[in-house]
Amino acid sequence: MEYPKEQIEELKTYCSKVRAATEGEITYLYLEELRLPAGCTPEVCDGLLCPVARDGYPSRLFLSVQVSPPYPRNWNVSNARIGEKNWYVFSWKVNLVSPTLAQMLVAHLTGFTKEK
Amino acid sequence: MSISIKLTGGLHREMVTDLARPHPFAAERAGFAFGRVGSLSNESKVILLCLYHSIPDNQYVDDPTVGARIGSEAITWAMQAVYYGRPGREGIFHVHMHPHRGRTGMSGVDRRELPRLMPGFQAVGRDAAHGIIILSLDHGAGWVWLPGSKEPVAASTVSVIGKPLRVFEKGVGR
Amino acid sequence: MSRERFSRQSFLGRDSEERIARCTVGVAGLGGGGSHIIQQLAHIGFQRYVVYDGDVVEESNLNRLVGARSVDVPAQTPKLHIARMMIYGLQPNASVRGCAGRWQDNPEPLRECQIVFGCVDSYQGRHELEVACRRYLMHYIDIGMDVHGGAPPVIGGQVILSSAGSLCMRCMGFLTEAKLAEEAARYGGAGARPQVVWPNGVLASTAVGLAVDIVTNWTRRALPYAYLVYDGNQGTVKESATLRNLKITACPHFSNSDVGDPVLLEL
Repeated sequence: MEYPKEQIEELKTYCSKVRAATEGEITYLYLEELRLPAGCTPEVCDGLLCPVARDGYPSRLFLSVQVSPPYPRNWNVSNARIGEKNWYVFSWKVNLVSPTLAQMLVAHLTGFTKEK
Repeated sequence: MSISIKLTGGLHREMVTDLARPHPFAAERAGFAFGRVGSLSNESKVILLCLYHSIPDNQYVDDPTVGARIGSEAITWAMQAVYYGRPGREGIFHVHMHPHRGRTGMSGVDRRELPRLMPGFQAVGRDAAHGIIILSLDHGAGWVWLPGSKEPVAASTVSVIGKPLRVFEKGVGR
Repeated sequence: MSRERFSRQSFLGRDSEERIARCTVGVAGLGGGGSHIIQQLAHIGFQRYVVYDGDVVEESNLNRLVGARSVDVPAQTPKLHIARMMIYGLQPNASVRGCAGRWQDNPEPLRECQIVFGCVDSYQGRHELEVACRRYLMHYIDIGMDVHGGAPPVIGGQVILSSAGSLCMRCMGFLTEAKLAEEAARYGGAGARPQVVWPNGVLASTAVGLAVDIVTNWTRRALPYAYLVYDGNQGTVKESATLRNLKITACPHFSNSDVGDPVLLEL
């Protein structure tokens, strides 16, 4: 699975490096040192963007740590194992029509900043 | 620190079937397998083989002093394969078979000739493990050069993950 | 070990004892299903084990945890200890690497196995084990049981064999996006699931039977994959109907080259 180069470049504005990690049929995007929204602790952690449908969600953003956001979130998977690493993800559905990767990422990060 | 090797039953069958075929002039056949490294506890490693390439008949050199000698075309092919395997850190393993039952090891010729391939493979595929695998009719052994290593480590086991499951242990007969 | 010990299983083959002893087996989950598996593996003669469970014995386990005793509840005996005692009691020279926790938090020992038994509670857990087994080339044997409400209740279960190069749990119709999604929506928590000893016994025995066949090949039949369904009400174990309608012969979900430690490709 390949992603458009310009969209990968756009993702790089949110983190220090973007790498591809394939497991099974899915190519995930490993976002090294992803900058989280203001109010989150930690401020930076690694992210794993799954741009395709998984677990009943159109896309998912996994994080390397369980982040403390400004508002409480339902961490519905506290230990997802992908690429021989353990990841955290909270319940947040992003319903966009044909988003770019960056739009998708931003929509997921917005989940930290919305009260509900 | 120890190294083990695993391959599927299907891959093992493919290798054995190919290596057992008669060659127009060589007494033995050889092939190349490709594998990647897995990390175990205590810094041990496992080599997971995933693909086998049969060396075409016309890429052997007619040399009656050895069981099989592969020509420059085969070596060039192997080097290119190592080059293209670099992103996935995929290494190459020279494979051949000794036609006897029981534990097997490197012959004098194997010991003299085969390690000479490794520096070239390592120069091209720096981040991969490369090596030698020798099968007998019912056993197997391997020697692995980890990235950056000048000396090989003999694999403690070669496991064929098929049915029947086979675990060939270094130094153990069958 | 006296030759008399295994004289009744000589039909497994002349060198079956040796083959069994040389195999390293992993068991993820030492509860109702896993404890049965451990007992049988120890009886048969497996010598090398990698086992995972971080729980202690609780009162509600005593209806099914093989090897557990009443005193283990106040003593808060780790399930790992129950498994070790079971193994060492039958195979004093066995090598048992026990990990008190999830395999995901200490995955390296599991990769040394040739066969892994998954005795976990969730679809996600099964999926993760299968992925690890494909990546590090291990036969994966999954067991699970469930009781569905009704009048009368329905006991069901499965035993699945998934091996690299052959069909996976998705191919066989057991793991589906719908099941994973529904589980994720429940936040993974299944609550206290009904569990009883005899279905666990049937499933564990079937699973161990598959493993012994894989190691010794005593049936001489090809076994690239298996999906057996247990009907606890009828008392039957049959091949899943999903296999009858299978249109695929090669697994599209895992690539043969996706093995070893993951490699991240810079973009």
